[in-house]
Amino acid sequence: MSDNRRPVRVHRFRPALITQVDDALPDYMNLMGMIFSMCSLMLKIKWCAWVAIFAALVGFANSRSSDDAKQVLSSFMLSISAVVVTYMQNPAPMTIPFMQ
Amino acid sequence: MRSSTILAFIFMCFVCSIAKTAKDEDFSEFDDFDHDEFVDETPSSTGATPSTPKTQSNKQESLRKEEEPQLKPNQIKDEEVSIDDDDDDDDDLMFDEEEFESSDPFGSPNQPLSDLKIAEVPANLTGNHWEAYYCEGIMIIALLGYLINFLIGRTKNSQLATTIFRSQRDLLEKNFSLVGDNGQTKTGQAEEQTDLMLKESENLYILWCSGRPLVDSMLLELRFVKRQCLFNSLAAIVKSINDTIVYTVDYSKEDMDTFVFCLARKRCIARLHRDMIDLSQFCLERKAADKKRLSGSYQMLTELSEASSAIIDTRITDFMEKFPDAIEYIHVSDQYTGTKTQTTDPQSPSTPAPANTGTAAQQQDALNISERAVRRVLIVAFNLVPQNGHSLQVTSEDVCNDYLRFVLYLMDRVSLFRLTSKESRAKANKNRHRIEETFLKSVNQQRQEQAQQRREEQRRAEKEKVMKSDDPELQRKWDEKEHKREMKRRQPKMKQMKIKSM
Repeated sequence: MSDNRRPVRVHRFRPALITQVDDALPDYMNLMGMIFSMCSLMLKIKWCAWVAIFAALVGFANSRSSDDAKQVLSSFMLSISAVVVTYMQNPAPMTIPFMQ
Repeated sequence: MRSSTILAFIFMCFVCSIAKTAKDEDFSEFDDFDHDEFVDETPSSTGATPSTPKTQSNKQESLRKEEEPQLKPNQIKDEEVSIDDDDDDDDDLMFDEEEFESSDPFGSPNQPLSDLKIAEVPANLTGNHWEAYYCEGIMIIALLGYLINFLIGRTKNSQLATTIFRSQRDLLEKNFSLVGDNGQTKTGQAEEQTDLMLKESENLYILWCSGRPLVDSMLLELRFVKRQCLFNSLAAIVKSINDTIVYTVDYSKEDMDTFVFCLARKRCIARLHRDMIDLSQFCLERKAADKKRLSGSYQMLTELSEASSAIIDTRITDFMEKFPDAIEYIHVSDQYTGTKTQTTDPQSPSTPAPANTGTAAQQQDALNISERAVRRVLIVAFNLVPQNGHSLQVTSEDVCNDYLRFVLYLMDRVSLFRLTSKESRAKANKNRHRIEETFLKSVNQQRQEQAQQRREEQRRAEKEKVMKSDDPELQRKWDEKEHKREMKRRQPKMKQMKIKSM
């Protein structure tokens, strides 16, 4: 069997050639995480802080390797700080509004 | 005897007077108390105030003892006993109502008790503290559950990718001189980097192969279900999405003839026809694939019937009989420019990367290019589903080699195919010419619009400058200029009408 390899015809990989998939989920999740963190800090709503942690986690799970890790990390930090600050302000247990 | 008693009496009086003055000085603040209050006094156990009547009573007792040495022990006992009376009565006796402005807790008994508001003690302050935090517990359990699913899903995808790569590695290395490239290392160091596929995300693994005759390159993409995200994996179950392997082969201009063709399953052909720019431009209608001995679940989009007959040969049909649902779609095109959602302008000369060119400079560069940037591609997508009762991993190990062989065969076939009939060639050229013209027109239009915008901006800047200068002379000149421009713009139309009438 003849060798099918041709080193002469080698072309280097370009990241632009990857088929782009329109997935905006990680960006939306980051944005949601930030919004809920701000809500929980300013309005002192505990469940917002927990949802912010969730959003940060979902954003991290769906992120691409090419994405900046700093954004995901900052989203996490913000949501965790929101939880901590909200509980320090008011250590009472969380109440879900539509269940009361 | 008598004198001694008189002397003793005088001495006692003297002592009493001293005591009284002392009492007066020390306890002058308690002078408000009436003596009547302490007739049946009993010293209370708490407070400074009660202690004074106690001392007072003691003093009085001692006085009484002296004055009436004949005091009966019973009476004394009574007094002593009376010391042990209730403190409440004592309080009532001792406290002057005027001293306390607050409402009398034992006031009118006619007031109803419903005025009292008994506040609820928060749950976290009563008894078992942690039971009150059940919501937090649920949230933490949910977060941990998602995290565990993330780790499991990521591991599963990674194992699947490794299995597929290992099963195809030998065949790839026999057919391509470069297997695995991240585009950044120097060619001499390429060997160190080629052991694993590139991980683009937790559900997307890619492998770049190059160095084969008749083709430029092949990109192998493993698009898995997003097992790392709980919500996505549930959605995949509901929508019945499965893992896919996509082979994208790029050709150079000389290696491929001019035609556009697509064979796909019914469930995705409508979406491809709508989204793919080349398919929507060159292929007008969908045809059933029954005539080509393929199953009824497949349909074709083809520009030239000669091409479809040439591509779908016995090897293809045999493969599709052996693996009925394996092929998701086969897309062959020499005019591939990506999908409509990726590019804002379908005609824009961009690579299939996201082409939302934000800056004006980039747009200008795009418009300066007079040719469309098209790729010549063969894209084959396979479904990875568990077969014959085996797990997904075992199935992928068995079938991936067959899939790769099929792709290599098709790759060579597309490259070697040339249109034979003149009509097909003429039709292909005509179509491409038409699309090229449309593209050039749109580019020209965009250039004109941009030039117009620039002129408008310049005029606006001039006007602002003139207005700011507050010089009536300048303003008048500028107005005259504007007037002349308006007249010029209107005049050519009149001229054209004159010519026509002659």
